[in-house]
Amino acid sequence: MKDPECAIVVEEVTDPQELAAAQVQDERFERNVSWLREHAEEVYSHHRGKFICIAGGELFVADTPEEVLSLARRAHPEDNGRYLRYIPREKVARIYVHPRRVAFL
Amino acid sequence: MYIPGEWHFCDDGTERPVIRGEILALTSTWEKTLFLVDTGADRTVLSADALAALGVPTLPPDQRLGGLGGVVDAVPVGTTIRLPDGQTGKVTFRGQFAAVADPDMLDMSVLGRDITGLFAVIVDRPGDVVCLVGQRHRYAIHTV
Repeated sequence: MKDPECAIVVEEVTDPQELAAAQVQDERFERNVSWLREHAEEVYSHHRGKFICIAGGELFVADTPEEVLSLARRAHPEDNGRYLRYIPREKVARIYVHPRRVAFL
Repeated sequence: MYIPGEWHFCDDGTERPVIRGEILALTSTWEKTLFLVDTGADRTVLSADALAALGVPTLPPDQRLGGLGGVVDAVPVGTTIRLPDGQTGKVTFRGQFAAVADPDMLDMSVLGRDITGLFAVIVDRPGDVVCLVGQRHRYAIHTV
């Protein structure tokens, strides 16, 4: 039987280069999140049940995450702050799965 | 350590507590994603979109996760999650996590108690605060 609750190793990032790169990525992500915020009503009403990805301030839509990622990466290979997500089929109140171990195969 | 989050406007018009993070992909690049701060979740679970972005070969499900929506197959993912640190910039969490490939079962990655349990978790809608607080940081409750 596998133990899924193995230890988590926590480390602070101190490398200035990694932190600088992360900041650039964060800024790109913020631009894409902001784009979706501004176009939320239109995007959410037209693309339920689809995967969307915003990259370079452009919306991509597909049936699978692999497909939409491929479209976004091809169009904006420089944008590593892509915002990828799934739009649920229905607007319903959500009680998120409270994951607990129930069985191991 | 202080990990800031935010109230994020979702597709159904509801604002939910999330933390912006990254997951280390097979290509050694960091893939951005949002993590729902779920104080009831036992484990951190990646959603289908996050799993796809990692580019890891899909293994057969080796565990099942249960909740009010029923029981769902999950695949193990050994990776690193990186979150913002208000003090140093970034902090990483390396370990074995789970991922759910069915987007209708989990549309957003969830930060569970394997990570949040290391911190005090503040999810305060009236105060517009979402954050994890630990190590050299503390919080206080004041009467006003």
